[in-house]
Amino acid sequence: MKMTPAVIFAGSVLILAAVVAIVVVLPFYHTSQTEPSAIFRPRTAAESRGRQIYIENGCVYCHSQSVRTIDWGLGAERIARAGDYVEDRPILLGSQRTGPDLSQQGGEHPDDWHKAHFVNPRYTSPLSIMPAFEFLGEEKLDHLTAYVQSLGMKDADRRVARQEKWKQKAVEAYENGPDQNVQWLHSRVPEQWQKLPNPYGTSDAGLARGHKIYQDFCMGCHGPIGDGMGPAQPYLYPPPLNFTVLQDRGITGGILYYQIMNGITGTAMPYFKKHLESEKIWDVGNYVAVYFINQSDAGDNAGGIDAAYEP
Amino acid sequence: MTETETIKLSDYATAKGFCLTSAFWMMAATFMGLLGATELIAPAVTENIGGLVFGRVRPTHVNLVLFGFATPGLLAATFYFFPRVLQTRLYSEKLGVFTVIAWNIMLVCTVATLLSGNTQAREYAEMIWPVDILVVLAFALIVFNFFMTVQRRTEPLIYVSIWYACAAAVLTMLTYALGNVIWRPDGGALTGIPDAILLWFYGHNIFGLLLTPLSIGVAYYVVPKAIRAPLYSHTLSLLGFWALIVVYTHIGTHHLLQVPVPTWLKVVAIVDSIAMVIPVMAFLINIWYTARGKLGAIHADIGAKFVFTGTIMYFFVSIQGSMMALPQVQRVTHFNNWVVGHAHIGVLGFSGMIALGGLYYVLPRMTGKPLFSRFLADFQYWLILIGVVGFTVILTIAGLIQGNAWLNGETVYRVLPEIHLYYVIRAALGVLIFVSAVLGFYNIARTMFMPERGAG
Repeated sequence: MKMTPAVIFAGSVLILAAVVAIVVVLPFYHTSQTEPSAIFRPRTAAESRGRQIYIENGCVYCHSQSVRTIDWGLGAERIARAGDYVEDRPILLGSQRTGPDLSQQGGEHPDDWHKAHFVNPRYTSPLSIMPAFEFLGEEKLDHLTAYVQSLGMKDADRRVARQEKWKQKAVEAYENGPDQNVQWLHSRVPEQWQKLPNPYGTSDAGLARGHKIYQDFCMGCHGPIGDGMGPAQPYLYPPPLNFTVLQDRGITGGILYYQIMNGITGTAMPYFKKHLESEKIWDVGNYVAVYFINQSDAGDNAGGIDAAYEP
Repeated sequence: MTETETIKLSDYATAKGFCLTSAFWMMAATFMGLLGATELIAPAVTENIGGLVFGRVRPTHVNLVLFGFATPGLLAATFYFFPRVLQTRLYSEKLGVFTVIAWNIMLVCTVATLLSGNTQAREYAEMIWPVDILVVLAFALIVFNFFMTVQRRTEPLIYVSIWYACAAAVLTMLTYALGNVIWRPDGGALTGIPDAILLWFYGHNIFGLLLTPLSIGVAYYVVPKAIRAPLYSHTLSLLGFWALIVVYTHIGTHHLLQVPVPTWLKVVAIVDSIAMVIPVMAFLINIWYTARGKLGAIHADIGAKFVFTGTIMYFFVSIQGSMMALPQVQRVTHFNNWVVGHAHIGVLGFSGMIALGGLYYVLPRMTGKPLFSRFLADFQYWLILIGVVGFTVILTIAGLIQGNAWLNGETVYRVLPEIHLYYVIRAALGVLIFVSAVLGFYNIARTMFMPERGAG
């Protein structure tokens, strides 16, 4: 084969044209007719502005918006469908997950949590390596929050409505003073959990584990001494709980476990059941009970058979 | 390839311009990489400096590496060997120098726009429309210069390096315009899933139709010249060239295997990703058989040493890449640092090494002076070799930790402390690369501008 300029030019351009027809044009016709999925809804003006801020600051380089069949984490309840993206221009699937996938982020937290988190991600999430976005200023952060709260579209709307509904009640309870607040908080825990003591007795090792979990997950809001005065506190309402108020107000290991596992929707308290397994939740609950509430029922009348590892 | 008077008259202004461009922007590009790596271990280091937020630093790093360091470095050697191989003068050095200037304006605009948040947020297609126009224009000028030089050749046979360089320029000009949706200046993107498909078609072709053919072209020039031996096989050259264009262009969708795109397209991407073994091995067998028994001559020339190392990196990155296109492998490797490691072997280990090798090979020959310091160039070689192998090992470990932890149900947040140590080591290795870029720039600038100290 003699390679002349014409052969090089025409040959490579013709091959490229043929390949583009197969891997770009054909799929374009295949996928550009995609119907919107069941959860799809168009974005509001504020959400669109927020999306532009998301683009400008390169959020896409650390956060995917692409839930896969093999995912367990945030948003795994709904695998991504082509119809979710029909108005995304550009599409922001992402190629790295340095932070969590945000496809279903909307309604995961109330707005005030996001505010604290954007000002400094370590306020709410001590292990985070996300940059602080306080420099964006109030208005842009509001738009960005609106966008993030829209991720998941109609599903997100339902979650956001749930947050708002419970936020009203949480604020009301908080404003009624500690007695009623604690009573309300306990009343949200299923009855059988309310009566349940922590089945595992207090041990130095367990407290050390609880201490570490507390530092990694809780300290930003509840503060290093559990008084609810962590760095996120000024941004959150109702404010993070000062654990001392739980003393002599009917607290049990079961209540602590349930609230940590399930979170308190409507407040900035997230659920931790995706982050933490059973032992870690019992341990951090007991750490709070021993050090901050000064009232632990760990190992009291637990019943059942002792776990094999117990001395 | 004997020298003639006409070639000696060439002043290689274009090649020298791209040479300095590459050496300078390598410093900027690696600095941005180091800064980004530092932010991942100490996010407060640039706290509330909007222009240096990680999400702006990372695309600036990536684009500067691709368009500031690797591409101009490869073009420098290419503009040097074009007239020599074709036995003529470059069609227009003036046009070439104009291209270099336009190219540098484009790079300044890239940095300014990306750091100020003016971005299209599509990987490798971040630059906004006016910058896109500059890129396409620059490639059009290069295409024109290349083909006009080919027309004026006095050597009837066109050597394989020229095929690759011509194809790279033409095809990148076209795919860049297509991938950046250049007919839609507002946003430069399609909508929804078609945008993802187009983006990764284009994105992968930045490697497949720009960096790879330019690198192969330089390797095909430098290796036989350095060892004074003819190329092993013309047939393998032909096979490798056409197979590269046919196969590489099909594989972009292997970035979207876990995304709702048509299954047949995923099958095409996977099959062709495996078929990449054909163009890769056709080139490697050809170049390695050419160098068989003559590694001493390779080792003796610092340029050839860089280039040959680049071909070994090409072997690893290609085999790894084919493997990563398998869905079962991707369950673990997708979305994490494994891929970042892969990118570093490819762009720094393969293209970057060959770009530097090309520079060091042509620099003494086009200036007529020995390299300012062979020691510094050698030192740079080892810094980069240690750095890029280190990146690969460290980022692969970090990626395996992330991927397996996620598959095991651990949340992304939980895994961050587990990879912190590897991020620290990665940033430390980044220091080696940045230092090597500064030394390289010094060495290259001294060689060019300070002849009297040239004996090194």
